Amino acid sequence: MQHIPLIPYPDPIPAPAGILILLEQLFFLIHIILINLILGLGLILFFKWKREKNFFLVNKLIAKKIPILFAIGINMAIPALLFLQVTFGHLFYTSSILMGTFWILIIPFLIVAYYSSYVHYKKFDISWIAKYALLLMIVIILYIALMLVNNLSMMELPEKWNAYFTNRDGTIILWNLSSLYPRYIHFIVASVAVSGIFYSLYFSKKDSTKSHEGLKIFAYATITQIIVGIWFLISLPKDIMLKFMGGNGIATFILVFGIVATILSLIFAFKSRLKISLLFLILTLIAMVINRYNLRMFQLEDNLNLSQLKLVPQWDVFTIFTFILLLGIGVIIYMLKIAFSRPNEVRK
Amino acid sequence: MNYPIWELYYLNSGTLIAIISVVHVFISHFAVGGGIFLWLTDLKSVNENNLALKSYVRKHIWFFLLLTMVFGGVSGVGIWFIIALSSPWATSILIHTFVFGWAIEWVFFIVEIIALLIYHYKFETLSDKNRLLVAFIYAAAAWLSLFIINGIITFMLTPGDWLKTGNFWDGFFNPTNLPSLVFRTAICIMFAGLFGFVTAVFEKEEKLRQTLLRYCAKWLYIPLPFLLISGAWYFYSIPENARLTNFVLNKQTANAVNVFLISSLLIYLLSLLLVLRSSKIFQRLAVFVLLMIGLSWIGGFEYMREYVRKPYIIYGYMYSPSILASDEEKLNREGFLKHAKWTTIKEVSEKNKLAAGRELFNLQCLSCHTIGGFKNDIIEKTRGLTYLGIISQLYGQGKILDYMPKFIGNEKELEALATFIASLHGNKKHSISEFQPKAEKIEIPPFNLQKDEYVLLAWSTLGEKCITDADKWFSFLYPGCSFQTILIKRGLKPQIISEGIEIDYEVQKGYENPSKHSDFWKYAQFLKDKKIPENVGLTGKGLKGTFEFDREKKIFSVEGISVLPYRDDGTFNPYPLFTIRAIEKSTGKILQRTKLVAPVSTELRCFECHGGKPKWNGIAGISDETAINILRVHDRNNGTKLLENALKGKPMMCQKCHEDFIVKSEGKKGYNSFSASIHGWHANYIPWKDEKACNLCHPNDARGNTRCNRDIHAKMGIGCTRCHGKLDDHTSAILLSQEGTRTAKLLLRNLKPETPIYNIKPRKPWIQQPDCLTCHVGFQKPKENISAFNKWNYDLSELYRNRSENTGKIPCIACHSAPHALYPSFNEYGVNRDNIQPMQYQGTPFPIGSEMKCEVCHKKKMQGSQHHANMLRAFRNKDKLKQ
Repeated sequence: MQHIPLIPYPDPIPAPAGILILLEQLFFLIHIILINLILGLGLILFFKWKREKNFFLVNKLIAKKIPILFAIGINMAIPALLFLQVTFGHLFYTSSILMGTFWILIIPFLIVAYYSSYVHYKKFDISWIAKYALLLMIVIILYIALMLVNNLSMMELPEKWNAYFTNRDGTIILWNLSSLYPRYIHFIVASVAVSGIFYSLYFSKKDSTKSHEGLKIFAYATITQIIVGIWFLISLPKDIMLKFMGGNGIATFILVFGIVATILSLIFAFKSRLKISLLFLILTLIAMVINRYNLRMFQLEDNLNLSQLKLVPQWDVFTIFTFILLLGIGVIIYMLKIAFSRPNEVRK
Repeated sequence: MNYPIWELYYLNSGTLIAIISVVHVFISHFAVGGGIFLWLTDLKSVNENNLALKSYVRKHIWFFLLLTMVFGGVSGVGIWFIIALSSPWATSILIHTFVFGWAIEWVFFIVEIIALLIYHYKFETLSDKNRLLVAFIYAAAAWLSLFIINGIITFMLTPGDWLKTGNFWDGFFNPTNLPSLVFRTAICIMFAGLFGFVTAVFEKEEKLRQTLLRYCAKWLYIPLPFLLISGAWYFYSIPENARLTNFVLNKQTANAVNVFLISSLLIYLLSLLLVLRSSKIFQRLAVFVLLMIGLSWIGGFEYMREYVRKPYIIYGYMYSPSILASDEEKLNREGFLKHAKWTTIKEVSEKNKLAAGRELFNLQCLSCHTIGGFKNDIIEKTRGLTYLGIISQLYGQGKILDYMPKFIGNEKELEALATFIASLHGNKKHSISEFQPKAEKIEIPPFNLQKDEYVLLAWSTLGEKCITDADKWFSFLYPGCSFQTILIKRGLKPQIISEGIEIDYEVQKGYENPSKHSDFWKYAQFLKDKKIPENVGLTGKGLKGTFEFDREKKIFSVEGISVLPYRDDGTFNPYPLFTIRAIEKSTGKILQRTKLVAPVSTELRCFECHGGKPKWNGIAGISDETAINILRVHDRNNGTKLLENALKGKPMMCQKCHEDFIVKSEGKKGYNSFSASIHGWHANYIPWKDEKACNLCHPNDARGNTRCNRDIHAKMGIGCTRCHGKLDDHTSAILLSQEGTRTAKLLLRNLKPETPIYNIKPRKPWIQQPDCLTCHVGFQKPKENISAFNKWNYDLSELYRNRSENTGKIPCIACHSAPHALYPSFNEYGVNRDNIQPMQYQGTPFPIGSEMKCEVCHKKKMQGSQHHANMLRAFRNKDKLKQ
């Protein structure tokens, strides 16, 4: 194949690819849920803006959560991106360069979006500026998401890299890739769905109408999502699509599992069984992350063989990392505990 | 070469790295120091039950969170993004080597974030104890993340044993890890104070404000001694070569050092003022000025740190443009493009030269250089260089000034890159057409072998006296020819006459007014520290005058005749004739008269590389453009202000700093001699090693206007290098003679002499030279292919021009003429122009007395080789005269 010579030489990996991929996907799952929430909640607030009674009063705390979600969401992108760069680094750096200009713009835009979320919260019920800050934040997240979808699509399709020889400005977007659109929209709709259920959960003990409304948002978004998902599937090259439809046992199973979980969460949502619906949603999300990974491996089939990556294990450092990670989680849990426990201590 | 290149010609990715990094580092150090500051200040407020202080802490957290978590956090990711775009391969190595290190750092980061969010959002609801605990966790996690990142950053400068083992720990706990950690911790504490001011100045209550400011100032001052000590420790942990390269040779580092030092001073002075003056407006203003200075301070530091790593991105492992050091040899041998992944051109051809040059520029230059852009603009950097100049620049790049990597690739690729860079200058081509000397008829003075009683032998001490002729800008050789002469009374026992006579000289018509053609007299007071009357040389000698008798050498001599090769009618002739007359003082009778040339040339082909055209009628001399280009390069590489001073009308003699025997200058201590400097520098850059290289500076180009190497040796095809050695050999010998200079070693280290360096004998320029008798052993015919290189005379007395024949009375040069113009000489400006005396006295162009012409002095044939062995015979290479 003509594109193969372009693929850079990979560097040795310090742990078996499976571990690195597992870590990448785990953190990606957390990251994407958080980003879904920021975008989805943002969209919900934006479309509800002043259209309901006591809008500011009811939603102030949601507005407050967005910057916090932002902080953790960005943070969770780091390990996902880090572990991605170990196994797929040589592909990812290349695709990033091909769209370097758009890719680096993420950084200043993200800073603006992050500050916008603070402006939105601080001025939520005080100034008209809040709404525009929210809009700015949404637009930027939509931009970043498109760039990420483009980057990962390009990373997975080295046959598209020849575009470099006619455009070296770092502005390559795969506009003519038919799966780019459903993949992107799949993310946006997921944001609304995930935020819908979060919304419902948030109000579950405070306001049952709102909670119900959240579930409704979730349900309609999920129905839309099924359509987009089908669109995504059929937009893929036929051989890959067929792998998800019986051609590859595991991939088919995960996809079917995901679809079943989606339908179940939808059914329970209509039945207002929030917690079970949430459980199936989480299962759906896990399945979808695996689907996403399977798609990547199918697309890269000719160009990447994980078992050929040179392994120079660093088990000692890995062990220390695991220990520190557990310690970190422990510390975080401890801090959350003291932060959210009832203030029963006598304050000095 | 493993990855595609983001082709940003105006604002290259290197510049973007600098912008993002400096801002990030400024804030991230504050994030670490500020954590400790918040914790300890909060602790103090609790211990002292100081509510005002607690309220200050409360306000400070908000500012802290907005700045560090949002801007600091995202810009940190920004560095990661931009380095991966700019140097993906190096980033990949950092990621793959240290992935679990990065992951550990991320754990600290998430703990930091959660702690900070809790500290901020739960400040009021947490108990003092728990709040302080959270603050402490934040501070500890923040410092620990510094601990990790510090190990990885310092790894890039001093990878230590990692280079051999590839082991994580060897790379992490590298030689500069600890000093850098202490230094950066001190910076963090200092920045905590600096940013502490920001919240403090907005405190409305004056007394409290002053207390807070004083408190913050302590944070600024307490780490100062640690900063100084660890700074020195850090500095001396850097490999010596890296320090030399980047703190001495790289003048850009000097800018960073200056910014750093000045900012240090300003920070500490202004912060003192801030505390001492209580004006609210002043304080608020000062705080923002202080922050800006702080930014430039850390910018200065980070720039220094980045510079000191040059030419590597991972020291000793990978060069700045992401080329593995271990691949260098292979790429030079097999070609660079052949092994580059992201180019369609794999081999350079005449057709694709320009496109290939662009690929090479992208792959080897773009990571640091822009094209017409913001920083390190390649057009600006190569301004004033011709195509050959660019070729030389690329050839010599990274050899002396090794903060730049060497060009990596084969010869054709080097040419392709030079073609591309030259094209950026609009393909200006200076074509200097070949000069055609006009042969002039020479009138040989009469001599009557029977009647004449005297023979007057005169010679120039140098075969060619070169003159810079760029006096408005600089000079290293000013006008001043020297002649020597002896008057011999003919007879069986000829006598050298020194009493009762006067010997005078006079230049031929048209050369009497050198000051019309040269600025030397205008600038002599700056060049030679004294005013010199027009047309007169340094010793007071004009174009017409008398010889002085040198009692020591027992010859008549005149030094410093200010003749130039420019004739008033616009003719260029570097061999003006002088008439010499020996006159009996008592009677005024002319005892003998002869002629000789003053070989004098202003042909320095600097323009071949440095641009411009020859100055005098487009023929010779260094033009303003060329001279300016040269000074600009000298200033840039040595931190001098020669161009600025010259523009102010104060040009300088190069030898003011660089010792030079021939112009009797001692120079400055620690500097290389002029000859060592100019040869040492250029030998590293000029891509040729044979006569072609010599002829760029010495007036002997076959297309040129002097063709100074004009004697029988040249005629026989014996060029400069047979005696002086090829460029690198010649230069090495001179450099080896340098004592007590700091750069001779640098100039030497990349030369590739043919004679092994340990066998090369040091040679003091002008004092030691190749010796005739090295080849002409016993005055005999030399062996085939013998070379005179590497066997030097011991001292001045042994120089050809100072030596005499066996009787000790007649200098060798009197009969054989000047070096490079030995009889018979072949002057392009007229047959026998250089052979006037042998033609006059014996009717042949051969050495005086050769071919048994003893009668020239002895009036009859003699027997025995009195003057030197092997002299009584026919001239060996007569056939060369016919060619």
